[in-house]
Amino acid sequence: MSDDKELNPVRLWREWFVKSEKAWSQAMTDMMGDERFSKGMGRYMQEALHTHRMFSESMAQYLANLNLPSRQDILDLSDRMGQVEDALAAVQVELRELRTRIAQGVSAAPASSERPKPARTKRPPEIS
Amino acid sequence: MASRRAPAARPPAAPEIPQEEIDRQVQRAVERTLARNIPGLRMPAPDLDLDVGQTPKELVYARDTLRLYHYKPMLDEIYRVPLLVIMSPVAKGYILDLAPGQSLIEYLVLQGYDVYMVDWIAPRREHAALGIEAFVSGMIDEAIERVAADAGEREVTLVGYCMGGLLSCLHAALNPKSGLKNLVCFTTPINADGMTLYKQWVNSRAFDIDRLVEELGVIPGEMINASIQALRPFQRSANQLQLLNNVDNDAFVKANLRFDRWAADQLPLPGELMREFVREFLRGNKLITGDFHVGDNVVDLGKIRVPFLHVAAEYDHIVPTAASRDLIGLVGSKDKQEIVVKGGHVSLVAGGNAVYRLWPQLDRWLAPRSV
Repeated sequence: MSDDKELNPVRLWREWFVKSEKAWSQAMTDMMGDERFSKGMGRYMQEALHTHRMFSESMAQYLANLNLPSRQDILDLSDRMGQVEDALAAVQVELRELRTRIAQGVSAAPASSERPKPARTKRPPEIS
Repeated sequence: MASRRAPAARPPAAPEIPQEEIDRQVQRAVERTLARNIPGLRMPAPDLDLDVGQTPKELVYARDTLRLYHYKPMLDEIYRVPLLVIMSPVAKGYILDLAPGQSLIEYLVLQGYDVYMVDWIAPRREHAALGIEAFVSGMIDEAIERVAADAGEREVTLVGYCMGGLLSCLHAALNPKSGLKNLVCFTTPINADGMTLYKQWVNSRAFDIDRLVEELGVIPGEMINASIQALRPFQRSANQLQLLNNVDNDAFVKANLRFDRWAADQLPLPGELMREFVREFLRGNKLITGDFHVGDNVVDLGKIRVPFLHVAAEYDHIVPTAASRDLIGLVGSKDKQEIVVKGGHVSLVAGGNAVYRLWPQLDRWLAPRSV
């Protein structure tokens, strides 16, 4: 492996890149921190938002004509799935509370799968 | 007399092996050879899906984008005060529970802490209007109450990571008598002047945050990820090359892929939270000017009086120390400490460095304050 390390120019190039990455990144970040770049990026974002709106409206109509789901339909579906997940989470919470209540009610004989609650009496180890 | 030679027995006809079977066997042989000789080619990626967030936990409470988990204690005796970890709303909590032996959560549980975590799920369009107040005075406040009730204790220690640290500080400052026992913040942004690139971007007149929020509702995770990548544009490429250089080191490959997966797994952000973060924090730098509002209340970090620990990373490029070092001075606690450790934003809490550098220090600070 060490031979390969010495002889492999691609590996040597990779190592050089990894070592000098910070400097390259810093140069790039300095360029992006420039006032003109910030303005350009802001303008690009506005245009991208405008294009996004125009394109999604026209595409939605086109997809509806083809009887295909649009991004909006997928988002609606995702929202509904998220609501189902919320409901499942609520059931999980209720189940846990129920289990806790049952365990407290029959504390003399806790369910075998449930570990008894630990005592909250731990002290920090003495520092010598 | 010519001897008669017995007719030579005909060799048995070779059984016909279907071409597919030959291909399959050759492929298996090549795979076995490669796997034996080049460990990195064993493709650890598929089982990575299984080995993040393995510390056993239960869901305690769910509301909006908040999920409150309780990690099951592993010892018979634990510290009295429960710990509540608040994750950043743009990052998934499994970075603190990457894999057994590399998990801060598992470490804390094994040291005898009763650990809870607020992890966030991806906001949907119905969550777009959740702002800082909804997070601080709504969800986090409720989570603290739930932890106190679940643990049967009146006091809770808050541990916030990155933006989760900022939210924890806001909560602690607005609710100084809320039963908070200690406050720990990891690499928490307080001074926007230290975040030069973001400040430059959002201060440009061409950057219209209102338009962005109105159009998108929820800010996509890809956009958040791209803005984080912009802070060190070639880091990802360097990581990939480093991965190639260490392809024969299984442990390295696995750890690298886990980190890489987490880094690309950014959560979207509710638009209103983004808008307020940009206006109040990045543009206004109002935590420093003392004019930061959450709802109708002005935040005064000096009202935080509980024991306080801030941990910063020396080479953090996401929240540079210039953005976080003022926190220790602004907090009003008498018992306060700052630790600056070598490492970056993520290696501060996860990975080999964290195991030896941060975790034991954190335990030494927390233990006497958790009884």
